[in-house]
Amino acid sequence: MSQHPLLRERLTFGDLAVQTRAQFVAAYRELNARRLFWVALVLNALVIGAVAAIGIDEKGISVLGYELGIPGVNTKLFPDAKLYKVIIATLGVGFWLSWLSTILALLSTASMFPDLATGGVDTLLSRPIGRARLFFTKFLTGLLFTALQVAVFAVLAFLVLGLRGGAWELGIFVVVPLMVVFFSYLFCVQAVVGMVTRSPIASVLVTLLFWIFIFLVHTGEQFTLIGRTASRLEIQGIEARLAKLQTEEAKSGLIPRLEEQREDDADWALAHGIFYAAKTVLPKTTETAGLVSRSLAIAADIGEEEEEAEGDENARRQRGFFRSQFVSEKKLEAAIKEEMDSRPVWWVVGTSLGFELVVLGFGVWYFRRRDF
Amino acid sequence: MVANAATRDDLALDLVDVTKTYSGKVHALRGVAMQVPRGQIFGLLGPNGAGKSTLVKIITTIVRPTTARGTVLGAPIGHRPTLARVGYLPEHHRFPQYLTGRQCVEFFGAMSLMRRPERRARTAAMLDVVGMAAWADRRVGTYSKGMQQRTGLAAALVNDPELVILDEPTDGVDPVGRREIRDCLLAMRDQGRTVFLNSHLLGEVELVSDRVAIMLQGKVERQGSMAELTHDSRSWRIAIEGAAPPWISELGATAAAAPAGTRTTIDFKTDDLAAVQAMIDRLRAAGVSIVGVHETRESLEDLFMRLVRDVDGRAKAVGAAQIGRGG
Repeated sequence: MSQHPLLRERLTFGDLAVQTRAQFVAAYRELNARRLFWVALVLNALVIGAVAAIGIDEKGISVLGYELGIPGVNTKLFPDAKLYKVIIATLGVGFWLSWLSTILALLSTASMFPDLATGGVDTLLSRPIGRARLFFTKFLTGLLFTALQVAVFAVLAFLVLGLRGGAWELGIFVVVPLMVVFFSYLFCVQAVVGMVTRSPIASVLVTLLFWIFIFLVHTGEQFTLIGRTASRLEIQGIEARLAKLQTEEAKSGLIPRLEEQREDDADWALAHGIFYAAKTVLPKTTETAGLVSRSLAIAADIGEEEEEAEGDENARRQRGFFRSQFVSEKKLEAAIKEEMDSRPVWWVVGTSLGFELVVLGFGVWYFRRRDF
Repeated sequence: MVANAATRDDLALDLVDVTKTYSGKVHALRGVAMQVPRGQIFGLLGPNGAGKSTLVKIITTIVRPTTARGTVLGAPIGHRPTLARVGYLPEHHRFPQYLTGRQCVEFFGAMSLMRRPERRARTAAMLDVVGMAAWADRRVGTYSKGMQQRTGLAAALVNDPELVILDEPTDGVDPVGRREIRDCLLAMRDQGRTVFLNSHLLGEVELVSDRVAIMLQGKVERQGSMAELTHDSRSWRIAIEGAAPPWISELGATAAAAPAGTRTTIDFKTDDLAAVQAMIDRLRAAGVSIVGVHETRESLEDLFMRLVRDVDGRAKAVGAAQIGRGG
């Protein structure tokens, strides 16, 4: 009997490529067969279409040619493509891709791992593919939904920025890897819960709860960051005032306040430290989506212009939760922005991917041990 | 035993001491030893819970054994590259509903490492063999159970496997389809493939299998060719005119009057042909008219039922055993 053409001592790179390609093609066909995929694509086009419908000139802002008559919103405030960048970053990325599109992606891929763990696994495991590789490849094919959706979004956004704003901004394409990574933080949880429970509904619910949890941790961290920063600035402000005062009598009124503020500062530092530690080990969805704004370099410009447009320093000092006589809102925002920008990309993405690796590692361990 | 007569290369499957204990409590397999020669159809029988599916899943790496020694196509159990030369049709398979039959078969061809040109050609050929060529470009989700089974068979055969493992291949298939699948199994054997057939249908297994193993309580109770398995049950039925002489009982034979008429049937259980000749000579010498002599053997169903029932006809405990509960 002649030697079988598939006789192997070990798998070659070509073998792995054939299997991986086949799984991606099958995953694409699966997406193609899902109505939700096409619904999301149409919504993508509608979101970008809505952005394209907005016009701006020196007179003001318009939608489909109709002037909206919003005072101050014109090309003086938003020169060139800035308006489109702002809308794409806030509405397109911050709301559509980061929330609605992600929920659609989670719903669309919810049955992938439960299906793998129930009906289809034996036919796959009886082929020459290791369980770890099968799990990871399945996971990567699950990211295809987001990758295709965001790629379409990026191309359309690129065209709108170029055609409507006159800026051919290649930096917009950074949204594709960033949003795929963003989705992967959540999808890893969905994949593992789906594998363990074999239930698409349970996997979606647990993932959404987890998402809410990390959002709450993020909110807590941001709140305590503002508190801690405001407290430090307050201390600096009081110390600066004390340095200017000449008499002990004048100083005596501020010293108890300084001591009180120092005690508060220790509490804020502790609270922020706890939230920051928790956040470090969790995926940072908001910051990851925020990297798009960072890459488009728009947030700082908008902040500056808004501040310049308003101008009333005293009024700002008395506003908000952290009102102060020594710290202006502008100064506080600048300090927080500096703190946020000082967080490197590796911390934002790296620690989030670290979390993902741990979750996927558990998933692989579980999948390898399980009998089907 | 086959293992003694055959070298390791002659065996498609050579299993030694395969055990599986689920959750530390349920003994699904308790030291299975099995030899399946190449180029034959091997039938695996057993009642529900006997461990057949667990054994099949261990061979195909779907279930991890507690202990397992032995080889599949000459490679150790669990050697993944060897699975490229194995075709497997699971009992309750669920193929991706969004793929067409052709895409589905091609997908499994690719998962078995086949390159595209060869894969496409084999897919078309196999869909034709199982009678699915006309529906090849419709989605699997629209197929009937029988059509899905045929597509599954095509997917199991697409990689031109040396060993084909079929778990209830005729499940959900109509009588015509069953016949076609049986013919397909015989054709596979004629092509030199080894077919490992796990089926509840005793008649089906008996019709096509060269060798059979019967599993009870996670162990192989019997295995061998049909002739070997029914060897002990070989007997001779001698029909005579009139009553049987009383001395036949001394030779271990029994007599029963025919339901109608004057004939009597003597059942003589022996494998010794000379003893049968001696019995016939003695009957003739006694002036008894012999109407006919037939060799009879136990059917596979008779053997199976004998193994799974106690002497008083009650079903034995035949499924997986729990630790501490004996069996």
